[in-house]
Amino acid sequence: MMTQAMSAMFEALRQKLGPQVQSVRADREDEIYLLLADADIRPITEHLRGQFGARLVTVFAEDRRATEGVFFNYYVFEQKGSAQYLIVQAPVRSDSLEFPSLSAELPAVNWQEREIQDWFGLKAAGHPNPRRVALHDNWPDVYPLRKDFPLETVLPPFEGERHIYRPAFGEGVLQVPVGPVHAGIIEPGHFNFAVAGEPILYLQLRMFYTHKGTEKLFEQLPIHKAVFLAESISGDSSFSHGTAFCQAIERAANIEVPLRGLVMRTILLELERICNHVGDIGAIATDVGFVIANAHASRLKETLVTLNEQLTGSRLLRGMVCVGGVRRSWDAAQLGALRSTVDSFAREFRDLISLIDRSESTRDRLEQTGVLRPDKARDLGIVGVGGRASGVDLDVRRDHPYAAYSRYSFRVPVYQAGDVWHRMQVRIDEVNESIGIVQNAMADGLRREFRVPVPPIPSDRCALSAVEGWRGEIIHWIRTGPDNHLERCKIKDPSLNNWPALVEAVQGNIIADFPVINKSFNLSYSGTDR
Amino acid sequence: MTEVLTNSGLQLVLLLLVAPMLSGMIKTLKARLQTRRGPGVLQSYRDIIKLLRKGMVIPETASWIFSATPYLVFGTATLVGLMIPMTTTHAPFSLFGGVLAVVYLLALGRFFLALGGLDTGSSFGGLGSSREMTISAIAEPAMMLAIFTVALGANSTNLSEMAKVAVGQSWRFLAPSQMLAFAALFIVLIAETGRIPVDNPATHLELTMIHEAMVLEYSGPYLALIEWGASIKQLVLMTLLVNTFFPFGLSPDWTVRAVGVGLVFYLAKLLLLACLIVLVETTNAKLRLFRVPELLMVAFILGALALISTFLF
Repeated sequence: MMTQAMSAMFEALRQKLGPQVQSVRADREDEIYLLLADADIRPITEHLRGQFGARLVTVFAEDRRATEGVFFNYYVFEQKGSAQYLIVQAPVRSDSLEFPSLSAELPAVNWQEREIQDWFGLKAAGHPNPRRVALHDNWPDVYPLRKDFPLETVLPPFEGERHIYRPAFGEGVLQVPVGPVHAGIIEPGHFNFAVAGEPILYLQLRMFYTHKGTEKLFEQLPIHKAVFLAESISGDSSFSHGTAFCQAIERAANIEVPLRGLVMRTILLELERICNHVGDIGAIATDVGFVIANAHASRLKETLVTLNEQLTGSRLLRGMVCVGGVRRSWDAAQLGALRSTVDSFAREFRDLISLIDRSESTRDRLEQTGVLRPDKARDLGIVGVGGRASGVDLDVRRDHPYAAYSRYSFRVPVYQAGDVWHRMQVRIDEVNESIGIVQNAMADGLRREFRVPVPPIPSDRCALSAVEGWRGEIIHWIRTGPDNHLERCKIKDPSLNNWPALVEAVQGNIIADFPVINKSFNLSYSGTDR
Repeated sequence: MTEVLTNSGLQLVLLLLVAPMLSGMIKTLKARLQTRRGPGVLQSYRDIIKLLRKGMVIPETASWIFSATPYLVFGTATLVGLMIPMTTTHAPFSLFGGVLAVVYLLALGRFFLALGGLDTGSSFGGLGSSREMTISAIAEPAMMLAIFTVALGANSTNLSEMAKVAVGQSWRFLAPSQMLAFAALFIVLIAETGRIPVDNPATHLELTMIHEAMVLEYSGPYLALIEWGASIKQLVLMTLLVNTFFPFGLSPDWTVRAVGVGLVFYLAKLLLLACLIVLVETTNAKLRLFRVPELLMVAFILGALALISTFLF
């Protein structure tokens, strides 16, 4: 499959970069693969970013030594205004195991390149901080995502320091370790603050305490079971991750999901967004001690998760999405519950927001707190809510429409201020837009099929799938294998890019404000650690 | 002599029993205002009994200060409680300088609490202690000014004496100096008892805590003593507020009937003040930490104005 525009682009790239650009293929019209002759990604990155203003979405690797004798690094690019993804595939030779690092110019891929180092044993040459990230320092030298590492491997006992933090010096400078076990019901992560009195000088983050080898697990499961694994990548984004995964399989196997299935997915994706956003708005209010707002937000959230249970049998929307559509349709009673709950929610949500708007003490706490400057947000590749509050105008629903989003119009809120108040404002606006989408979608394609039967999944097909989860851009990339199994499944949760934003946003704030800044991003530990 | 003993015995029982009830009441009222059901009024008693039965974990780095602090916090709060008039105008004890002793015994408890927070070497304790000291550095003078305003009116720093004079002129609280002093003391009360907008007693976020951060390392009976002591201190401050400014119902002697009437009035006044605290806590967000001193400066200035206006009006 080679369109005229593509061959023109290929010729242009070839002219510019010479024989390094080997071939181009389009698996789908919005998914173009460009194969390089060697691992040197720098010239083409520079060209794509400089010439086309392209954004590097994600970087990941694959062990193809068995079939092609090399590792591959994949660099996914997107361009503003185009629904296409350009995936540059760069071979990394299995004798040198080295690829050039982009982190110095593109801090956004810092952690992702180090993940490749930890999981595949490839070396990011020239990385400014090549220490371990995804596996802790006390891990033995094993590379779990290589094909010759069996899942059942029993590792030798771990020894040595788990992680060495940079010391902070200076008169009156203290290091305050917080975590990895926290008060309240949250996941593990270690925050090491260097403080001078109350102001924070520097924050060191340590994640991956809940690394579960999820990407490896995907390679062991039959595809229909892998859907459930996808739903458990990050509990509060069950439906988004499940949908992203199913979409990837559907794209690989050319399965066309019927309209009603797409519409129902859209509704459930938006319900997940509303539910989590309301919870977050309440949680931000709690963290500044405005408990009354949280009491109402919790009550509203409860009406939504009860609706979730009525619609899908699960408060977290699990077990509903499947390859080929959704598992069941809704009867009149369920549709009635959906309509009445969303209508009354819309009304009560307005009351909640005016309660918060009228509280000057709350506004005083949130404005100018935890500012993430737009230039920093762009450099760090921040996506989702945190990005949109800092001028990063990205939304997969609009930029790469999936499910039934192209049928509905909605506004993507973008602010420049980048403080906690505006991260909350983005959530408020998005909830209002989502209510509109759900109300429009309820009666759409009502009496049609909601699922198609799934044919055998062909082997050795690649597919990229993107979903705007409530936190931001979720990417799943798969390569199918024989017998209804996967060769590789790459998962990128928005939290992975966004954690470093926290480091920027807290600088210069006082340590007592950290919890509310953290909550305004509300990133997933499980989704990051996988 | 026996009279003093029975009096102090009675007041002691009242103090120990009413204090947890008042904390429980505030929690319940808060929950109701937030459309929650919340714990029952008796929850604070259950917590104290539960903690008293539990074992303790004492940090290896802790010194004798860590162990002495709970007794000091509890002891000073109780002693102060015996020095203020609760249901009668007669406080069982009157030590060296009356109201000055009250302020500085409370300060002693706080000083040891801050030391106890530092003693374990945990970074949260240190944060809490430094914040507590910052706040009390301003709260204390504000409290002194407000109390002196009242003391000036009574020509005595003896609390029983002050109460007696106050009972004689029930509508005195309408005087500008008294109202200003009440406002100053109310802000101090909010700060000293660690309530929103100064501190959030219900938070689980260590990094934002003040009072709770200092006691993070305490467990079991020590924690029970500190919690109990904190609720007694709260009762003492609230009593000071209701009885010096609104002396209605304070009985002049220790007869059964008078004490009974006094008790009813006293509890009613406490409940009203608790409602006021709950309203403030529910309708406000917590202040930014660095704006807490500004609030306390307001209390200080109100106290100063109160003192000046006693000479003017």
